[in-house]
Amino acid sequence: MSFDLEFAVRALFLIASALPTTFMLTLVSTVCGLVIGIAVALIRLNNVRVLSPLAAFYVSFIRGTPVLMHLFLVYFGLPVLIDEAGSWFGAANLSVRIPLVGFVLTAFSLTAGAYLSEVVRSGISAVDRGQLEAAYAVGMTRGQAYRRVVLPQALAASLPNLANIVVGMLHGSTLAFTLTVVEIFGKAQLVAAQGWNYLESFAAAALLYWGLTVLIEHLAARLERRINRFAKGGVA
Amino acid sequence: MGRRFDAAYVFDFLLRLLEYFQITMFIVAASFLLGMLVGFLVALPRLYRIPVLDRCCAVYVSFFRGTPILAQLFLIYFGLPEWAGRIGLDLSRVPALAFVILTYALNTGAFVSEAIRAGVGSVDRGQVEAAYAVGMTARQAFVRIVLPQALAVSLPVLANLVIGGLKDSSLAFTVGVMEMTGRARTLGVATQHFIEAYIALSVIYYAVSLALERGFRLLERRMLRHEPSLAGKGGRG
Repeated sequence: MSFDLEFAVRALFLIASALPTTFMLTLVSTVCGLVIGIAVALIRLNNVRVLSPLAAFYVSFIRGTPVLMHLFLVYFGLPVLIDEAGSWFGAANLSVRIPLVGFVLTAFSLTAGAYLSEVVRSGISAVDRGQLEAAYAVGMTRGQAYRRVVLPQALAASLPNLANIVVGMLHGSTLAFTLTVVEIFGKAQLVAAQGWNYLESFAAAALLYWGLTVLIEHLAARLERRINRFAKGGVA
Repeated sequence: MGRRFDAAYVFDFLLRLLEYFQITMFIVAASFLLGMLVGFLVALPRLYRIPVLDRCCAVYVSFFRGTPILAQLFLIYFGLPEWAGRIGLDLSRVPALAFVILTYALNTGAFVSEAIRAGVGSVDRGQVEAAYAVGMTARQAFVRIVLPQALAVSLPVLANLVIGGLKDSSLAFTVGVMEMTGRARTLGVATQHFIEAYIALSVIYYAVSLALERGFRLLERRMLRHEPSLAGKGGRG
């Protein structure tokens, strides 16, 4: 017997208890990232002065460096910045009060933001220019036009890419273990170390991630079909 | 958390991290080349719809695309020797680097096989028919006609895989391989100047990513120079 199935099943249930943390990390960083991504995409598409080159650098830098770097830069750099700013207002060592998960979420949100801004950008450029003009023609302001007409269509167009990013963030959340946040992967390590069964615990963890990934892809495909029900191109 | 920020350290660390640049690049190159081989072998059964084997390949691809690379790394680094030990094989002497490259090659292979599949799918069917018409065998038609075109089409995807491999190589330190990220960690611990170490490290990764991106864009333009409809568009990120 070279694979302890019983232990693997036990490990699966133990590890599953860390599911909420993984969900939380993935969800929060994707949602925050989407907000950042939309803002960055709008800044770049509208060529906002000063901000636009900064946004371009942000996206290029994040996409050009490993997620692990974002995590470490935020974890080691943010406290320095916060304490520096805090000392101006007479509040020393503010950074100690930030929980570990706060750093992880900040880093992951910045990561997701850069990748999502590219997704949103390509989504917005997929929306026909006439849509914006039509929105202006019926008297909408720019904000209204974007919120009601352009962005919903852009997000629908970029749904497959969006799903890819969510999967990417799910897989990226494993890095949180380097800062000792216990999500699925961190839990798998704990379980493995206890029973000296690395093979079975990591196999169980991999199985969970695999299942989640397939689930996300499935849901995205269904959502896409639903959203595109009314988006018939052509003339007929 | 460490000492006060000192910019002088960034430059110093930059030079000391570059000493480990070749190990990082070795991981990237070795795993990509092996990954190409794996990806090619995995793509074939699916392209030619070989029964049973194509199912197995599909599961393999789904698994490596559907699980975090870190989980794969730990599964192989910790799990493989454990499993080998139970069937009486001693892998404890194998260096960690070998497991890292094996994992990354298998991971890259899954993505490469998808890229090749998509690339082959984009080659016009008439090309194969024309190849048969001038008397080529199935293998000749594939190797001489279809594959070169498929590779040219999937070059942007392959380029992204190389750059992704560079970024993933930073995870090798988790199993104790001394590459740039591992070195940055030890430098940080030794001097208590963590943030300077990671800034220097990020600068290197960023520079290499940009260089790779530029290089691949030139290569892409060269490979597609006979296809004006594609090359003419330009501006592909």
